[in-house]
Amino acid sequence: MRISSRLRFIVCWAVGGCFSRKCFAALLLMMAALGISTNLSHSHAAETLLPIEVGQPTRLEVFPQSIQLTTARQVAQVIVTAHYKDGRIQDVTRVSSITSVDSKVAKVAAGIAYPVGDGETELVVSAAGLESRVKVAVSSQSLPDPVSFQYGALAGFSKQGCSAGACHGSPSGKGGFRLSLRAFDPKLDGETLVREGSSRRVNSVDPDQSLVLLKPLMKVAHGGGLQIKSTDASYHVIRDWIGEGCRLDAKDAATCTKLEVYPPSGRVLLHPAHTQQLSVRAHFSDGSVRDVTELAVYSSSDDEVATITPSGLVVGKDRGETAVIVRFLDRIETSFITFVQEVEGFEWNDPPASNYVDELAFEKLRQLQFQPAALSSDSEFIRRVYLDVIGLLPQPSEAEAFLADNSPEKRKRLIDELLERPEYAKFWALKWGDLLKLTSGNVGPRAVHKYARWLESSIATNQRYDQFARDLIAARGSTLSNPPANFYRTAADTNESVEIISQVFLGSRLQCAQCHNHPFESWTQDNYYGMAAFFNRVQRQKTGRGNELLVWTNRTGDVIQPRTREVMQPWVPENESLGKLSDHDRRETFVNWLTRANNPFFAKVEVNRIWAQIMGRGIVDPPDDMRSSNPPANAKLLDALARDFVDSGYDRKKILRKMLNSRTYQTSFRTNDFNRDDEKYFSHYLPRKMSAEQMLDAICHLTDRPETFAGLRIGTKATQLPAPDIANSEFLKAVGQPERQTVCACERTGDSNLNMAIQFFNGGLIAGKLKDKGNRFHRMIAAGKNNEEIIRHLYLTGLSRLPTQGELDGTLKYLQEKDDRGAAFEDICWAMMNTIEFLFQH
Amino acid sequence: MTKKRLCFNVTCFAVLYRSVVCITALAVLVSAANVGQAEPVSFRKDIVPILMDNCLACHGPKKAEGDYRVDSFERTATAGESELDTLTAGNLEDSELYRRIVSDDPDERMPLEGDPLKKEEVQLLKQWIEEGAKYDGEDPKADLYSIMLPPAYPAAPETYPNSMPTSAMTFTPDGANLIVGGYHELTVWNPTDGSLIRRISDVGQRTYALAVSPDGKMLAVGSGAPGRLGEARILSLESGELQRSLGMTFDVVMDLAFSPDGKRLAVGAADNTLRVFDLETGDEQLKITSHSNWVTAVGWSKDGKRIASASRDKTAKVFNAENGELVITYAGHSKPVRGVMFHPDDKQVFSSGADNKIHRWNVSDAKKTAEVGFGGPVYKLMNYGDVFIATSTDKSVRQFESQSHKLIRQYNGQQDWVLSSAFHPGTKRVAAGAFDGRVIIWNAEDGKEIASFIAAPGYSPK
Repeated sequence: MRISSRLRFIVCWAVGGCFSRKCFAALLLMMAALGISTNLSHSHAAETLLPIEVGQPTRLEVFPQSIQLTTARQVAQVIVTAHYKDGRIQDVTRVSSITSVDSKVAKVAAGIAYPVGDGETELVVSAAGLESRVKVAVSSQSLPDPVSFQYGALAGFSKQGCSAGACHGSPSGKGGFRLSLRAFDPKLDGETLVREGSSRRVNSVDPDQSLVLLKPLMKVAHGGGLQIKSTDASYHVIRDWIGEGCRLDAKDAATCTKLEVYPPSGRVLLHPAHTQQLSVRAHFSDGSVRDVTELAVYSSSDDEVATITPSGLVVGKDRGETAVIVRFLDRIETSFITFVQEVEGFEWNDPPASNYVDELAFEKLRQLQFQPAALSSDSEFIRRVYLDVIGLLPQPSEAEAFLADNSPEKRKRLIDELLERPEYAKFWALKWGDLLKLTSGNVGPRAVHKYARWLESSIATNQRYDQFARDLIAARGSTLSNPPANFYRTAADTNESVEIISQVFLGSRLQCAQCHNHPFESWTQDNYYGMAAFFNRVQRQKTGRGNELLVWTNRTGDVIQPRTREVMQPWVPENESLGKLSDHDRRETFVNWLTRANNPFFAKVEVNRIWAQIMGRGIVDPPDDMRSSNPPANAKLLDALARDFVDSGYDRKKILRKMLNSRTYQTSFRTNDFNRDDEKYFSHYLPRKMSAEQMLDAICHLTDRPETFAGLRIGTKATQLPAPDIANSEFLKAVGQPERQTVCACERTGDSNLNMAIQFFNGGLIAGKLKDKGNRFHRMIAAGKNNEEIIRHLYLTGLSRLPTQGELDGTLKYLQEKDDRGAAFEDICWAMMNTIEFLFQH
Repeated sequence: MTKKRLCFNVTCFAVLYRSVVCITALAVLVSAANVGQAEPVSFRKDIVPILMDNCLACHGPKKAEGDYRVDSFERTATAGESELDTLTAGNLEDSELYRRIVSDDPDERMPLEGDPLKKEEVQLLKQWIEEGAKYDGEDPKADLYSIMLPPAYPAAPETYPNSMPTSAMTFTPDGANLIVGGYHELTVWNPTDGSLIRRISDVGQRTYALAVSPDGKMLAVGSGAPGRLGEARILSLESGELQRSLGMTFDVVMDLAFSPDGKRLAVGAADNTLRVFDLETGDEQLKITSHSNWVTAVGWSKDGKRIASASRDKTAKVFNAENGELVITYAGHSKPVRGVMFHPDDKQVFSSGADNKIHRWNVSDAKKTAEVGFGGPVYKLMNYGDVFIATSTDKSVRQFESQSHKLIRQYNGQQDWVLSSAFHPGTKRVAAGAFDGRVIIWNAEDGKEIASFIAAPGYSPK
């Protein structure tokens, strides 16, 4: 986790092992100069539960305020919160004494109240000399309260992980036993558990002898090992369900409609307060409520910040914010908890905010006690902003002029200039090309250029983003005369349309919901096919003219849910806001919903994507995986950016300009003592490897030996290629150019690989450019420039800075020792290309 | 964490059973004084069940935690990766097996994270080691299942809390009783009125097959506890007493059949084997491992020279009953096969399965010659010479003429999957049992229901 991509890159180099020791030493020196540490150790908070320091609270607050146990199986998790004079709060449940006044009515064990017999009593809760009382009403204890198959037994299997994707929930099951993934298909599971395999799994005469319990107990050999204990709540609920005769739920049985998690989002715990017991209550369609704290499944969005025990105790490990994700079968609820720690010696350094981006970013940093890094140097900034805005390195003359400029407005001015350059549109069109799977193979050799040019012009003219989305999603006509119609060429059928549109415009990865309910999100299989009902009427027909495709829509046609065989009505999240369906083309209705100002996804996804492009990490990350279980690192900031974006009329350039001008963007990558551990809240710039195309362009730029791509205009840069399969570059593929086979932003990774290492050690492309007598430094040698002039020029070209005295002396010494001056410069230039400083954007 | 005691292990010899035996003489002298009156502990009788219930799941052929296994005496006595002596005759201190069972350290105490052994079990192990950790079998390499003594099964429930699937039944030769598989028992019913006549205890957890020997004297019971134990047990039909226990194995026995001469018993089990036993000696004559999944049904040819088998591996097969060689494989079902029997001419076979069909095919070339469709998977084919009965999840019970597979009659009334059936030619009664526990008896002459009951004593539907 802590081995960041930059270090992995180094490790990869070291593994290659075929470069000289001297070069490796140079690399380490360069890293040292950059302040990049090779120390991988990272201290963690202790794993064991620390005792609670109760101190002297002013009052105790008990949840729930009153307890009703209206059936024999009801229980109630009690939560005790201590309030302190200074406004702090702390969960003291596990150190409180909780007793029942009348043990014939109710009893308490480990913070959970259980019914005993009908009647009324009170729980006495005490801690730190304070006492609080809670009324308990118990009724209907003599009536049967059979275990629900779905909400009891299947929830138990899900809790123990039996129906997880890696175990029996995998499509082919495990060891001949298959459950539906997290119990999304109770009917199938009922048959599997009760009847399949000669009914060997359950034993309703002696339920403890059921194979389905003996195996996870490891009383009978079980490939998955020990997964349950006879004291677990899940064990009891499964055993009791079997003992009651394995009854399946009636068709009209109440369904779970809502989960209620206590505490709700927003709890802030100041160290030493660091644990929080949760309570989870499921609300059902018949109005009943059950405490399912013991059967809910817990996970933390950030295990470095906090982990959660199976019984629902959140244990803080480090400062930060985490989303506590609570799942009860297909219901998912999230509660945010912030852990704050006084960091010794921490002082807020109060950097000036350039705009609201900084104000909101700083607010979060200050709360979590991370100190923003210093402002980046001019060299760092110019190199960074060139790469981010136009994808290229600044020319040495541009760098020199910028460094010499003393105007306080020079950064702002540079940003404005870059945003107006034609390379800006070409470079950002490349990013959209990735998302839209733009390849010659996918759309055809003619359309690929037209589609790429359309993307470029949309960015060059700063087309409103809502209009851009509409052009794509509601596209119709010929793929040659209306390039965005190619969208339905890459989205070749209804399912692909749903998946691409949801991932690109809603930031949701929906693929899993095609076959089963989404495992981490509230998307169900019904939702998937409901979305499909907007796009199933799209027709695609070959015209026979080249690769032309004609896109139009039918007026009829329904989507059938494959599992339930039901006809699906068009569905969107927050469905009630959908409005009347268009008779003409349901896609219109969808786009109207998508691009309305209060759409909860549309603007956020795009501003987050732009943010991720320039910051190296999304506020929600991965940027195309927005879900309640993957919370934003700074929700306020994301909201503000999205609002600004909507208010500006979906002006992409304006929002990008706002981000680029923020101090948050312009901070140094150099960490300080108070932000070293932060990789999430933007207290410092996150260095990242250049993209494959940037890397090739940078090598061409440093050597001044451009690449030519067959069939494309001379001078076309790698960052301006319409599609990867037009220019078949072995080098680009080796260094990580995506093939554009999926819409996932993850296709473009920051990882390095052995192939890349080989390209840089002794690849033909680099060797050719270094040896080329027409390259930058060979020309300078021929023109009679002295060593120092050439070195300075190379540093400015490759790194946008001048060499330090030490670097200059070292390099000059190396040159003196070598007989062949040209070869020596080849070595020096090669070494520079292999430095982190060159390969990384920082 | 298990390395703690490594330093004490000065005598680093591998503790094979031989070394245990070597020092046995000494150990007996030492322990005899302590134990005195108590009967010596038997490995086969006393220790094997403890190992099976508590240790085998993690230390067996499927999972060998710590590289230690207990699936034979030799393995039990051989150190795992800790290289600590597992058993030292007469010396509890140097017996890692014992030390780990009584350890106070939760990271060491076996079964790890599970419930500790019962006091009596610990006492038996202690005494056994003190008495020299002796092996009272013949081959120390023999699998535990092959050396274990016939278990004394727990008592059947007085009253059943729930019904259970009726997976096996047979009429007695005189047709006066219908025997049905229960829970650790067989229940015997009066087929004319459905009343319970008696209960035969001491049988395996669930009974999957029942067969009466051709001479009418023996009742073979195929039973087991899923995933744990399987057994074919021969009872005296008259007294219900145990005559012989055969084919103890690690999963349930799914079907069994007497050879036409009554001298041999074919047993198919969920351990994927088909075995043939000599009923005179109890010897295992053939062990056929040709199937890759449960052997769900077995049947003899009329001449006793061949055995047919059905398997969950989606095939039916025919074997030479003398040497076990495979004669032919039929793969036409493409789904698990549940039932199998020879056609009266011995040249063809009927098989039934989860493809909702009965197939009829040639032994010579495995070519299908006919098929009969059902509305759901078809269970075992019960062969009564001229006629056979088939049942299905489509709730039907169908009686066919064996020669022509012509449907003679369909018996209706079951409300759930019909899993088992029986026919008594003399009294002309057909019985069938369903998943919900209901047994119905019909008159085969007119198809009218004679009796109906749930084969679960004391159970009343809620």
